[in-house]
Amino acid sequence: MNQRIQGFGLGLRTDHYSDFVTAPQKVDWLEIISENYMVDGGKPLHFLDRIRQDYPMVMHGVSLSIGSTDPLDDDYLRMLKSLARRVEPAWVSDHLCWTGTDSLNLHDLMPLPYTEATLRHLVPRVAQVQDVLGLPFLLENVSSYVSYRSDEMKEWEFIGELAARSGCELLLDVNNVYVSSVNHGFDPQVFIDAIPVAAVRQIHLAGHEDHGNYIIDTHDHPICDAVWDLYAYTLRRFGAVPTMIERDDNIPCLDELVDELDAVRLLSERVLAEQREAA
Amino acid sequence: MTSLDELQNRFQHAVLSRDETPGLFVAEGSEVAGGLRLYLMAYRARLLSALRDNYPVLHRALGDEFFADLAHDYIEAHPSCYRSIRWYGDTLADFLAAQPERLPHPALVDVARMDWAIRGAFDAPDTLLLSLAELAELPTGEWPRRRFVPIPSLCLLELNWSVEPIWRALNEDAEAQTEAPEALAHVLLVWRPELDCLWRSAEPVEVAALSALLHGANFAECCTAIAAAGESDPATAAAGLLQRWITDGLLQKEPGKQEIG
Repeated sequence: MNQRIQGFGLGLRTDHYSDFVTAPQKVDWLEIISENYMVDGGKPLHFLDRIRQDYPMVMHGVSLSIGSTDPLDDDYLRMLKSLARRVEPAWVSDHLCWTGTDSLNLHDLMPLPYTEATLRHLVPRVAQVQDVLGLPFLLENVSSYVSYRSDEMKEWEFIGELAARSGCELLLDVNNVYVSSVNHGFDPQVFIDAIPVAAVRQIHLAGHEDHGNYIIDTHDHPICDAVWDLYAYTLRRFGAVPTMIERDDNIPCLDELVDELDAVRLLSERVLAEQREAA
Repeated sequence: MTSLDELQNRFQHAVLSRDETPGLFVAEGSEVAGGLRLYLMAYRARLLSALRDNYPVLHRALGDEFFADLAHDYIEAHPSCYRSIRWYGDTLADFLAAQPERLPHPALVDVARMDWAIRGAFDAPDTLLLSLAELAELPTGEWPRRRFVPIPSLCLLELNWSVEPIWRALNEDAEAQTEAPEALAHVLLVWRPELDCLWRSAEPVEVAALSALLHGANFAECCTAIAAAGESDPATAAAGLLQRWITDGLLQKEPGKQEIG
């Protein structure tokens, strides 16, 4: 049942269960939020199993807390592995962040300081997760709203170094790159240019809330023009990478998201065709 | 230099205690570092949203503003220790019960308990159900020693108020007009035989019988529990209850005949 992931996907949301069950949708693959299905039974697993029959899937977590100074949670990893056995995803991803310490969970994607010490902390933890899962493991760049005084390098340098040292692959969230570029005042193309091409296995696109001098990564709006442009730029560097839209709030009907995904598909086809012609 | 451990502890403490100057960030305290305030707000907004999801009828009964006031106090007193936010709010009913003067009516504690029990049944383990046909195949001689096992989602919820009419009305219609409930100590059964959660109240004899089964009693021991609850003809009562439980989907297929985990 483990199928190759290619083309364009969506995040599976409860609002769209019946759409996926009742008719084929123009969606190549689906991403599930792992924690939503780390339960014992009931509707979440019923619909997951039903929809998995028709769509390849990848798993995306929010609570691994790979960067926390707490030990990795063995129970959580066991449950994640168990879900992976059920779903047979092409890969498993989570965020390059910490979500809490001292056994608490802030339920947020807290940024890490970009330091040598953080890299040394992360590398063995990535290996531990890879060992448990036995599947490709991706980490996603997060949106952030603060910069640490203790940072020793840029975020993109940190990510590239982590990928090189740990062997983890990357889920490149183009919207997050843009959000952080506005919040911290850097050029998002510099970020994209620094990410190692071979490490990127998946791309996220999403909308956000623009407050003028800062942006909040809310996933409750359509993709904005600046992120479309940055995605086109990203395509020129990375070529065809499985890409999906994340929508977590103010969720529209599935048709609306499929239309937006069609626009992603068209942009990708156009940019890649232009590249082929230019070559 | 701040160690990673110290940085995370200080950042987390800042979020939990609303400390806007933890001494960690570039341009801290300036407009640019308003970013820290976003983490403080997002933390509370996310947990409030989880409480609204987990207590939908209590939220409707109290109204958004009143619910948010109580929820914020709960959030400040109870940081989350759960990997999944789905479990956040497990002690909200106890939190409310400890300060009934803050509620417009003390029965709202029971509304919270009912919300949480139904949330628990929603994603409890699945199981195959015992059928009347399988019961009919059971040889008479095996009845006394046979253990009938309730399904994993079954919860016997002790309530002090007759809140079910209010819960039902508000669950169906957020704007429903409701009467104040009456005091009534009773037990509510909450369970999920297939995909949808069900509930109904239970008399003391039935509660005694189900409690016995939940503690591993066999049919003979279940009859003893029914007799102890005051039933003069426990065998007949037990047979009637068994039939009802099977019809309601409250009992699981014999473990050896289960095909799913």
